Amino acid sequence: MIMQCIIVTPERTLRDQPADFIVVTLEDGEIGIASGHAPLLGRLGYGEMRVSQAGKTERFYVEGGFLEVLENVVTVLTPRAAPAEQIDPAVAREQLFSALSKPAPSGELLAVRNRAVAISRARLRVARRTQP
Amino acid sequence: MAKARALDRRRRSIRNIRKITRTMELISRAQFKRAMDRATAASAYTKRITKLVGDLVHSGLEVSHPLLTTPPETLHAGLLVLTANRGMCGGYNAGVLRLANLRLKELQDDDVAVRLEVSGKRGISAFRFRGVRPDEQYTHFEDKPTFEQVNSLAVRYLDDFTAGRLDRLDVAYTRFESSSRQEAVVETLLPLTKLEGGEEVHSEKEVQYDFLPSAASLLDEVVPMSFKVKLFKCFLDAAVSEQIARMVAMKAATDNADKMISMLSMAYNRARQGQITGELLEIIGGAEAISG
Repeated sequence: MIMQCIIVTPERTLRDQPADFIVVTLEDGEIGIASGHAPLLGRLGYGEMRVSQAGKTERFYVEGGFLEVLENVVTVLTPRAAPAEQIDPAVAREQLFSALSKPAPSGELLAVRNRAVAISRARLRVARRTQP
Repeated sequence: MAKARALDRRRRSIRNIRKITRTMELISRAQFKRAMDRATAASAYTKRITKLVGDLVHSGLEVSHPLLTTPPETLHAGLLVLTANRGMCGGYNAGVLRLANLRLKELQDDDVAVRLEVSGKRGISAFRFRGVRPDEQYTHFEDKPTFEQVNSLAVRYLDDFTAGRLDRLDVAYTRFESSSRQEAVVETLLPLTKLEGGEEVHSEKEVQYDFLPSAASLLDEVVPMSFKVKLFKCFLDAAVSEQIARMVAMKAATDNADKMISMLSMAYNRARQGQITGELLEIIGGAEAISG
């Protein structure tokens, strides 16, 4: 059976093609999905998404959102996604430093800062794997 | 000759105006197409989020979220007004501003501290004219608002709402219903009164989903997301409606120019003919005087 892999952001549909195997980062770790997976709704974390199709692997950076698996259609709903090659490690590093240097005097601001740090770390990780 | 020449000059200037309005019409038509494509792309996302909410609700989950609860009393309200950066779009800006002013007055009459935020140069100058200083003004939302830009606004509203600095958020914008119908509206986005998709009844067989990590955690994420998507849709709708309004206004202006040109042409020809007749009469009169 052929599995369809769809990546949707509010601005466009990034990918709508068949896939053999998909790995996405959930909030608490990676999950692998092959054809015939049970229906699933998941909350995505920040990180890499790998889509294998006919021996080739495409890599994306996905920033949170949702995962839905239903009848061999895997839909990734995310506010932001990009092919991994488009993530610049230098920019990601800069973001990480600026996020780390933000003061966080209150609980709310700390949460905001932690979020920014987590996002920039994930971006950096994805970018580093592209350019060793 | 004087009258005919003046008419000709006027006709020429109207021809130039017609060229400008015609070009503006074509430009806004192209931009409308692009804006429409973006809106369609966004609606794919919205539809899926709505479906997700429906699935979550049908899993028998108790839907409760701080964003869904109305604060006991409204002390701080936000009013976001979406207007265009440029004019030449008929009643587009005026329609939004009229409603926004009504709502602003309504809120102020209820002794609510209103934080006014205006997007678009037209709206900003209209409020300045009325002597109202917006607390925040944006001019960077052009005809292509990106999710990123809207997201940063949305995050601020959400933070303010959870911290109790904002009890209610209204957005005045032009809703796009179809390409022949757009309407200026004021919508209350916060508190989210209901989640769209929640009341739909699934007729097809129920799918038993696995939730990772849990349905409650998914709901935590879905509620703010559906607010962000709603706000983004407001911006997209406003962008599409603006282009349509400009297209219609410029089309009307071009048609008017056409009508004026044909009227002026007729007047010009008549004046020229009258002049020629006058000159002929003079010559004939002169010839007759000599021969007679």
